[in-house]
Amino acid sequence: MVFRLRLITAIFVARAVMWLVRLLGRGRGSSLPGMVALRICPGILAHLARQARRGVVMVTGTNGKTTTNNMVARIAGEAGYRVVVNAEGANMITGITTAFLRKASLWGRVDCDYALLEVDEATFPRVTRQVRPDLVVVTNFFRDQLDRYGELDTTVSLIREALEKLPGTGLVLNADDPLVASLAAAAGGEVLYYGLGEHRRVTSSSSAAREGRFCPRCGQELAYAYYQYSQLGNYRCPGCGFSRPPAGVEGTEVLPEERRTTCRLRSPAGDYELVIPVPGLYNLYNGLAAFTAGLVLGVEPRVITRALAGYTPATGRMERFRYREKPVLLNLVKNPTGFNEGLGTLLSLPGPVDVLIAINDNDADGRDISWLWDVDFEVLEEEHRHVNLLVCTGQRGAEMAVRLKYAGVPLEKIVVEEMSRAVERVLNGPGKTACLLATYTALWPVERILSGYARRENRVESLPSVS
Amino acid sequence: MKVCHLYPELLNLYGDRGNVMAFARRCRWRGLGVEVLPVNPGDPVDFREVDFLFLGGGSDREQNLIARDLEKRRDLLQAAVEDGLVVLAICGGYQLLGRYYRTLEGRVIPGLGLLDLYTEAGRKRMIGNVVIELEIEGEPVRVVGFENHAGRTFLGPQVSPLGRVLVGCGNNGEDGTEGARCRNVFCSYLHGPLLPKNPRLVDYLISLALARRGLPADLAPLDDSLENAAAEVMLRRLLK
Repeated sequence: MVFRLRLITAIFVARAVMWLVRLLGRGRGSSLPGMVALRICPGILAHLARQARRGVVMVTGTNGKTTTNNMVARIAGEAGYRVVVNAEGANMITGITTAFLRKASLWGRVDCDYALLEVDEATFPRVTRQVRPDLVVVTNFFRDQLDRYGELDTTVSLIREALEKLPGTGLVLNADDPLVASLAAAAGGEVLYYGLGEHRRVTSSSSAAREGRFCPRCGQELAYAYYQYSQLGNYRCPGCGFSRPPAGVEGTEVLPEERRTTCRLRSPAGDYELVIPVPGLYNLYNGLAAFTAGLVLGVEPRVITRALAGYTPATGRMERFRYREKPVLLNLVKNPTGFNEGLGTLLSLPGPVDVLIAINDNDADGRDISWLWDVDFEVLEEEHRHVNLLVCTGQRGAEMAVRLKYAGVPLEKIVVEEMSRAVERVLNGPGKTACLLATYTALWPVERILSGYARRENRVESLPSVS
Repeated sequence: MKVCHLYPELLNLYGDRGNVMAFARRCRWRGLGVEVLPVNPGDPVDFREVDFLFLGGGSDREQNLIARDLEKRRDLLQAAVEDGLVVLAICGGYQLLGRYYRTLEGRVIPGLGLLDLYTEAGRKRMIGNVVIELEIEGEPVRVVGFENHAGRTFLGPQVSPLGRVLVGCGNNGEDGTEGARCRNVFCSYLHGPLLPKNPRLVDYLISLALARRGLPADLAPLDDSLENAAAEVMLRRLLK
């Protein structure tokens, strides 16, 4: 009885907080209500999550959590299921609790088929102690915000140890990432792998910022037949024989385009064409992960591909805007791997491009910004004609400018500006397109300023027809 | 100028390769030719021919891999250091040059013993922005960076600290010292990376390297306004 009382009080107070946050217009209130509710009723998350009728799916890993989880949500929605989803990337225990609170009645009833939760890697053990997932999707492991997580090995062990306490939980794993694939035996449930096959864009040499290239089992350096990017690829350990497992869901004939990525897809349920309406190889990986999760949830493959073709990105995940006639792209950057992919996309845009880079160093961004020196900005030295102007902003904009200078970018192309001036400058720059890259806490202010000028443009109808 | 980057693939935490970029760029901007030699375990290298040697830090596994390789090169490295080789060692690389590292369990891992200092594992990681003050050619210079280490380093009488801590923990969080200097060997816990936004320090290292070869060490001034602005952001924030 005491629990019921605490539960109802918690929900009531959380509702009041949600209402206040909205009234004051401060932040998006994606974690505060959960924080308050957990304080009043620590068991609330477990209680609410248990009510998901068909189960709980969690997505974790370094990059692509938000995108993958939103894609899974779209698939479940398309299949007619009711879902609870933490769609704004609020992936700590407070944000996850808030997602449930939004769907809970005053009496603590949640009417949903699936809970689809993106979970921060470091929070994963804590969340899984309270909520038992039926399926866990792991995207990849890259070096990220080291001052918060410690080293990459520590992160992988955290997830492994948490999975070992979840016997029977199903896994959807990225076959191309040795660190992820090494988790296969941890939970003891069914494992389905996804991955990309060899295609025109694979390389035989590796880019910088690779860290996961040692065998996660025996520590020897892995041998690669080819790389997709970073440590993702076709690997084999010469020491113990650990190698890329065959991917049940595999993309081949990859076709990267400016606005979308397509591939042929081989799966246990048959062969399909997969269209992801966002650019970048890494988004194709997110699509493959979501497709595989959809299969495990029992959704028809045709329904899955239709849902994915209609996917619209969340804030700052390759979001498209238009300012007058100028296409504008907004993207989150948070670690070297993601930033390198972002630069690759930037260089594939019609040039010259006006670029904004916003770097903050709050806790959520990582207080240590030395990772900027692990990003290969040197590609901008070779390709500087493709870039019109690089405007640096945010709390550490000045340091970003130093990084570009030492990458060999011509000085006259580097500018440091306060944020609203910076956004204005790239929008009004003479380039053909604009590309805005921001760290986590810089993303919201940049997005707010940007949407004051530019029109959001993520509707699928606006995509050109297949050519 | 021959710049030797030791174990760039293994010791590559926290963007430390930026130190090599800063050294190389600032030489090139002054018309000095630079050759960067990445040296991995087993690769041959003659330290006598090297003008600047950089050693970064890595995670435990990588550090154990390179310790074995470095041990084989110890005598040659010591000879070069005595000849005035300019060295910058950061974090793990710094610890490795000392006498030993004592783990929490009390196990003693021997270092190269090139410098009179030792390190003990601590329970609490020292993480955060740092400002230190050091002296370059008699002038006080403020240097900014970011530290992230659990090891606590203590200096023996034969080495002097690189600088004095104004904000942050430094060597051990107790004695107010940061880093170490002995001959032309410079050690520090500062990532950031250290050199790019502290151009005075880079130029000092370049002039020491030139002087060792008997070349004129007067460097043409460069426009450092971006570098100084970046350092100023942190100085203003941290020193209030």
